[in-house]
Amino acid sequence: MIRFAPLVTKRLVRQPLRTLLTVVGVAVAMFLYCVVEATQAGVTRATAVVAGDSVLVVYRENRYCPFTSRLPQHYQPRIAQIPGVAHVVPMKILVSNCRASLDVVTFRGVPEQDFLETTLPDFEIVAGSAEAWSHRSDAALVGDALASRRGIKVGDRFSAAGITVYVAAIGRTDELQSRNAAYTHLAFLQEAAQRGGTGGVVTQFNVTVSDPERLDAIAQAIDAEFAADSEPTFTQPEKAFVGRAATDVVEIVGFARWLGWGALAAVFALVANAIVLAINERVREYAILETLGFTGATIAGLIVAEGALLGLLGGGAGAVGAFALLSLQTYSVSMEGVHVEVSAGPSLLLSGLVASIVLSVLAGAVPALRVARGDLAGAFRT
Amino acid sequence: MSFVECRALERTYTRGDNTITPLRALDLEIEQGTFLALMGPSGSGKTTLLNLLAGIDRPSSGELRIDGQEITTLSRAALARWRSVAVGYVFQLYHLVPVLTAYENVELPLLLHDLSRKERHRRTALTLELVGLADRHDHYPRQLSGGQEQRVAIARALVTDPQLILADEPTGDLDAEAAKGIMTLLAALHRDLGKTLVMVTHDPKTATFADLTLHLEKGRLVSPATVGADAPAEGGA
Ligand SMILES: Nc1ncnc2c1ncn2[C@@H]1O[C@H](COP(=O)(O)OP(=O)(O)OP(=O)(O)O)[C@@H](O)[C@H]1O
Ligand SMILES: [Mg+2]
Repeated sequence: MIRFAPLVTKRLVRQPLRTLLTVVGVAVAMFLYCVVEATQAGVTRATAVVAGDSVLVVYRENRYCPFTSRLPQHYQPRIAQIPGVAHVVPMKILVSNCRASLDVVTFRGVPEQDFLETTLPDFEIVAGSAEAWSHRSDAALVGDALASRRGIKVGDRFSAAGITVYVAAIGRTDELQSRNAAYTHLAFLQEAAQRGGTGGVVTQFNVTVSDPERLDAIAQAIDAEFAADSEPTFTQPEKAFVGRAATDVVEIVGFARWLGWGALAAVFALVANAIVLAINERVREYAILETLGFTGATIAGLIVAEGALLGLLGGGAGAVGAFALLSLQTYSVSMEGVHVEVSAGPSLLLSGLVASIVLSVLAGAVPALRVARGDLAGAFRT
Repeated sequence: MSFVECRALERTYTRGDNTITPLRALDLEIEQGTFLALMGPSGSGKTTLLNLLAGIDRPSSGELRIDGQEITTLSRAALARWRSVAVGYVFQLYHLVPVLTAYENVELPLLLHDLSRKERHRRTALTLELVGLADRHDHYPRQLSGGQEQRVAIARALVTDPQLILADEPTGDLDAEAAKGIMTLLAALHRDLGKTLVMVTHDPKTATFADLTLHLEKGRLVSPATVGADAPAEGGA
């Protein structure tokens, strides 16, 4: 079969316009598909609770926005004494934009001791230092995703949501929400925010449990503890919390999935169209090949190979393009102070390539069979 | 045993209620090394017969043996493989592959043979030289004249060295000058290489290049059924 490969490649090279148009069409469709898939994967990663998740978020009951969720900081010891709770970090959240948008800055104010004991160990400090954070009251530890998105460097001062912080450190972490946040001193945020800014009020508590298996049970225990208080709580696993806060985003992305399937259909249609048109033009040419002694199977192979190559070129370009775009720059859709990251891994690249090859082989298969079974002598009579 | 043997060969087409029989109970023997011209009015079944001989069409009934091989029972794929060694076909409209150069068109049938690249090159170049196109290797069909295209097509039919060459009005689309060149070439293949040639033509002048001419009318031969290189000539020559 290798001997026949030049027959396929020569055709593609010597009809450059047709090849280019098909490849570009497939590339655009595949690019779209990959971006939609990456977004969907980002939503799943941010919102699907998986075994081993051990963080609960305690929020004010019936509140959905960081501006309106207010809980007394003195809940902290009461949560801490509930069996199974490992750490409790009170957190004041301040966001630059509460609605869904790209590039939102989320500040998380936490008490210094909780920061050092609980938050810091999740980070690998890549610039600056924890000491610098401790020294300054307006210091911030900036997550790597936020830092790279905003081009933030240690020593910078940066402003968002009406406050200005000093960048004391930049930290790398796998924790999705932490990567996209800037950690400040709790008191600083409480004062600077001013909105309901009396000390002693926080937005939420982040609770780490010692046994992930008991995540739900502990959440219920926390809510039961405060049910009779003036500020009742609603406690959820962190990712479920993100899912609730970012409902709109989740829904839009779910809808966008149709766009992704549509893009795949476009890949299929483009390759099928290119092949079918070509075949109609070349019915006689294939009849000549068969007259020369090429079997139907070989001819069908040539047709399928041509489709597969078009799909591979276009799909490859589209998938690589999407991969490059999303790995050079991390996009993050945020709302209510939570983040959904859109990023691409090698598996996206691979699935895009596989999808385009499979679809283009399918697109070529039907016309290939038709040619292989068509009326040979009749092909010369048209 | 003759090189080509047709026994009660028949081809019918059914279109709805109509049945067309372009070829009717045809008996024909052709000896090896014969150059046979087939003439007859339009629609008399000339192309149909040629296609049956090439195995690109199948008879509705009858037997057809070529070089001892009964080809009516072969599968479509087996027929293709058989053609790649046994038959060269030349079309009226040349039918070169437009995206391939003259050289690549001629090399095409050799891809089906287990040959080294070097050997393929040797045979391709030799055959192009034989048809007088040694200097046109890299030309695409659209860059060649009709006569040159037909030479390339003849080279392509010849390159695998088949015993049987079939040509359907090979000069039908050419002017007198180019036609003469093509006929001289075909006659030389017959004379120097001993190929068996069956050629369809409308033109009596073209037919004079053949050893023998047979006439088809309404799917029947109107000349003696046995013709051979040393049988008495009936038409033409
Ligand atoms: N696939 C087909 N379906 C129906 N009828 C056909 C088919 N192929 C050929 N015929 C008929 O068979 C008859 C003989 O056709 P053929 O092409 O063999 O004639 P011919 O002698 O080569 O004519 P010409 O000199 O015009 O090329 C014609 O009447 C033609 O219409
Ligand atoms: Mg004809």
